[in-house]
Amino acid sequence: MRFIVLCLGLLLFLAPAVDAHFGTIIPSDDIVTQDDGKTLTLQVKFIHPMERHYMEMAKPQQFGALHSGRKTDLLETLQASKGSSPDQLETFTFWITDYKIRRPGDYTFFVAPTPYWEPAEDLFIVHYAKVCVNALGLETGWDQPVGLETEIIPMTRPYGLWTGNLFTGQVLLKGQPVPFAEVEIEYLNESADNISIIHPPSDPFVTQVVKADSNGVFSYAMPKSGWWGFSALSEADWTLKHEGEEKNVEIGAVYWVHTRDMR
Amino acid sequence: MMLQKIRLTGLLCLLSVGLLFPASALAHKVNVFAYVEAGIVYAESYFPDGRPVAKGKIQVFDDQQQLLLEGVTDAAGLFQFKVPKVADLTLVITASMGHKNHFLLKRSAFNEE
Repeated sequence: MRFIVLCLGLLLFLAPAVDAHFGTIIPSDDIVTQDDGKTLTLQVKFIHPMERHYMEMAKPQQFGALHSGRKTDLLETLQASKGSSPDQLETFTFWITDYKIRRPGDYTFFVAPTPYWEPAEDLFIVHYAKVCVNALGLETGWDQPVGLETEIIPMTRPYGLWTGNLFTGQVLLKGQPVPFAEVEIEYLNESADNISIIHPPSDPFVTQVVKADSNGVFSYAMPKSGWWGFSALSEADWTLKHEGEEKNVEIGAVYWVHTRDMR
Repeated sequence: MMLQKIRLTGLLCLLSVGLLFPASALAHKVNVFAYVEAGIVYAESYFPDGRPVAKGKIQVFDDQQQLLLEGVTDAAGLFQFKVPKVADLTLVITASMGHKNHFLLKRSAFNEE
């Protein structure tokens, strides 16, 4: 009996780490040179990146780009699409859009999703996700905050990263650093340039975990080419109603970066 | 012994400074970007960190590599001119110390105004 209780306890303990949810924005290119096409395709999803599982995503509440200190609302450009992992029988909604780069500089794309009700955790999830695309050789803007309720500010320039590079960022909540924030990190197994799907040997390999220092600053070295997601979770100081009951809201600051093999 | 230590420290400092220079040179990569509005080509030149390339020489070539015009960027790194020919235009910028780059302004951009 004691053994069964212990096993159940272990399962409950491991469950959140196995299925880490990530808000996702993945552009078709992270560095636009003058020889590249200037139209990006951006995919906005709510997924388990390593396990390739999709979750149903309602139309976001905000979606836009920050460039040269100016925000552009792109919400109405989003089109619904459907996707799933190879082992999911049904398909799930995600969002897609095209965006034409017109000027040099860094474009930070951001999304504020509609709260997602997660019955298994008895709470709502809101992941504010960001990604930066550099255009035409002007490398300014990537370290500017969007002003989201919680967000990661990159301290490493978030593009032109080699596999093995260290990514350093700072977790902000309402504009203030979050001391000792826990940051979850996952590899996007469906990265277009991933030549071999990763099958983690055990659950702790699915989601990497690092803790920030007293200034909310964290670092992680990325061991494979493709897209990497960083997610710092906090509990909102507001609640939402579900079937008449007030429920807690998990807010996530998510940032995506791309790495390339050195060859 | 102490003197030797000081000399070694000095040498290490010099080496460190030497190692810093290549990074500094890389940051001097020049860029040029151009767009068209109402028949005017607006060229902007800049370093990766956003500083303008002042007094950069800009040459404009057509798709037959014929030089159409040339000029110099102002203190804000800007240079503008009337569309000289409806063709793919290549803008070449040359800054001091031989730093050079180019931008291809496709003729299709003239219709996107």
